[in-house]
Amino acid sequence: MIRDSFSEYHPFNNFLYFALVIGFSLALNHPLAQGIALVCACTYAISIDGKKSVLFLLKYCLPMVILTAFINPAFNHEGTTILLYFSNGNPLTLESILYGFSAGVMLVTLLLWFSSFNRVMTSDKFIYLFGKVIPALSLVLSMSLRFVPKFKAQMSTVTEAQRSIGRDVSNGSLWQRTKTAILIFSIMITWALENAIETADSMKSRGYGQKGRTAFSIYRFDERDQYTLIWLGFCGLFLLSGTLLSAFGFRYFPNVRYAALDMTTIPFYCVYFALCITPVVLNIKEERKWKTLVSKM
Amino acid sequence: MMKRIISLFLTLILLLSFTACSGNFAQVDLKEPIVLSEDGIVEKNVLDKIKNENAIATFTGKSGDIKYEWTIFGSDLADTRDVNLSLVLEETEKGIKVKFSETEDLGFPALLSIHLNERWKVDGATAFDGDTAVYSVSITGSKTSILNISVNKIVAECEILPDNEKAPESTPSTESSLNDKDDKNDTETNKTDDYLSDVKDNDDRVYSDGNATDQDKYKTDPVPEGKPMPVEPEDQEIDKKKSYTCTFSIECSTILNNLADLDPDKRELVPSNGVILAPTKVTFYEGESVFDVLQRVCKEKGIHLESSWTPIYNSAYIEGIHNLYEFDCGELSGWMYRVNGWYPNYGCSRYQLADGEVVEWRYTCDLGNDVGREGTW
Repeated sequence: MIRDSFSEYHPFNNFLYFALVIGFSLALNHPLAQGIALVCACTYAISIDGKKSVLFLLKYCLPMVILTAFINPAFNHEGTTILLYFSNGNPLTLESILYGFSAGVMLVTLLLWFSSFNRVMTSDKFIYLFGKVIPALSLVLSMSLRFVPKFKAQMSTVTEAQRSIGRDVSNGSLWQRTKTAILIFSIMITWALENAIETADSMKSRGYGQKGRTAFSIYRFDERDQYTLIWLGFCGLFLLSGTLLSAFGFRYFPNVRYAALDMTTIPFYCVYFALCITPVVLNIKEERKWKTLVSKM
Repeated sequence: MMKRIISLFLTLILLLSFTACSGNFAQVDLKEPIVLSEDGIVEKNVLDKIKNENAIATFTGKSGDIKYEWTIFGSDLADTRDVNLSLVLEETEKGIKVKFSETEDLGFPALLSIHLNERWKVDGATAFDGDTAVYSVSITGSKTSILNISVNKIVAECEILPDNEKAPESTPSTESSLNDKDDKNDTETNKTDDYLSDVKDNDDRVYSDGNATDQDKYKTDPVPEGKPMPVEPEDQEIDKKKSYTCTFSIECSTILNNLADLDPDKRELVPSNGVILAPTKVTFYEGESVFDVLQRVCKEKGIHLESSWTPIYNSAYIEGIHNLYEFDCGELSGWMYRVNGWYPNYGCSRYQLADGEVVEWRYTCDLGNDVGREGTW
């Protein structure tokens, strides 16, 4: 596991990167493009989270891909290649299996991107970027993104406090346990609502979203950020034009058809790979630099 | 620094727009209908272009005040030459007279659509050269009728007559006119002229007396007088000892009249004559419904079919046949079935078949109005 130096770049670059990779992961359904995105998303998630994300991958992501590949053909019978027939007479088609597989891969890729996004785009970065442009929305977004972990933490606090006065969810008859659980849940709901109002009031009293309000920030847009921005912008435009020229064209229904891989389309895949792998490359570069600096001392 | 970034982006955009534009330098746009010239001649190079781009092109012309349209599939073209596609159309007492300007066979099947100025209230029609039938005609169109003919062999002159006007023995054989490769032996056509008449001896279905005024419990409006009442799938008793035959066909010629609305991904699925299954004699067992037989026929012929059970109508709903689905050709499109010239107002699982019935599955692009369905929804 190496230190994630990409998250030390300017928040705008962080955000642009994730906007691009998530956008293209959603838009491109060419298996090669999906493969590139999946590999890069895995690599980045592992480089940030290490063992934890490997476990997550094996435990949840792999079954999810297999599950969607199986579930889709049960509901979707489109496609020209009929493999066999279900008992209700509808056909099982090769295309629907492939599509299910592709949808599963896309889902997993997005999950991985978002887990990295949550790690890199902390709420202070988010507020820094959007606090002035869309104050209300960015506050709501950052609050809701923070809601789940905060709710979990508060939940364990409340449960422990209740246990200390004898109301334990793991103790007593079924009726008693249910009663305690409902009580804890009710406390949590009250807390969540009150907490939201308090946060909003607190932000308002500090003049959040008002004109002329300045915010302290530790972010600087320095030279390396400029280069990164140019790189990300180039990749974004290049890939956008590739999408418009249907270099990533792929269709599953009614039969599989795709844009041929040749000299005109391969560059787009290379650039897509380069874009997706950018933070990992930056991290490795930083790591090397750090090591050479250390050895000189 | 900013200037450098901006200039970099601008060059990039410029480069990309050049690559995007360089692909299009054709003179004839095949996506729009092409108006036939005065003499009606389509040159070889235009046909070659259609062939090379594997496009579907339409040519429009006019004779008197009747419009006509040729649809040519690039995938059907082999050897090309200059062809004359102009026609002379004349309304006769009973039908339409067609005179071709071309004298030799086209060498490829082309779809001719004649747009009449009024609605022709017939189920089907046939084109006759004297007494021999040459083409079978599929009738579509909502307010005004469109006659669709798949033309391969050219005759100098023919007359299109409604099917109930001529004696059945002179009807054409499907193989020759529709250019169908399969089912040469068991195809049968249009022997349906006398179907409206009688109740068969071995038919124990209940027929509507036309007195009902309310919907039944599956939301079916009163069945018109003289038509068979629905038989619920759970009540159908299939007797495998008694087998009968009926005629099945599946066609989608309405799509060929509405190619602009068709999902572009589905274009290559549409047969150039609109026929997915030419009229075919099939065996069924007593008590089987239209749905049972459709499912079996499609399985046997390897035709894709997707259906879903709809409890409120107590019937299966046909979502797609041959990968052509509902809504693939406009919002009002989907599959409908006609038995002996009547579109039943209930689902195909509730229509119990009788011996000798003629079942046609037709794709509609206008809620059935373009395939000759009568009445309002």
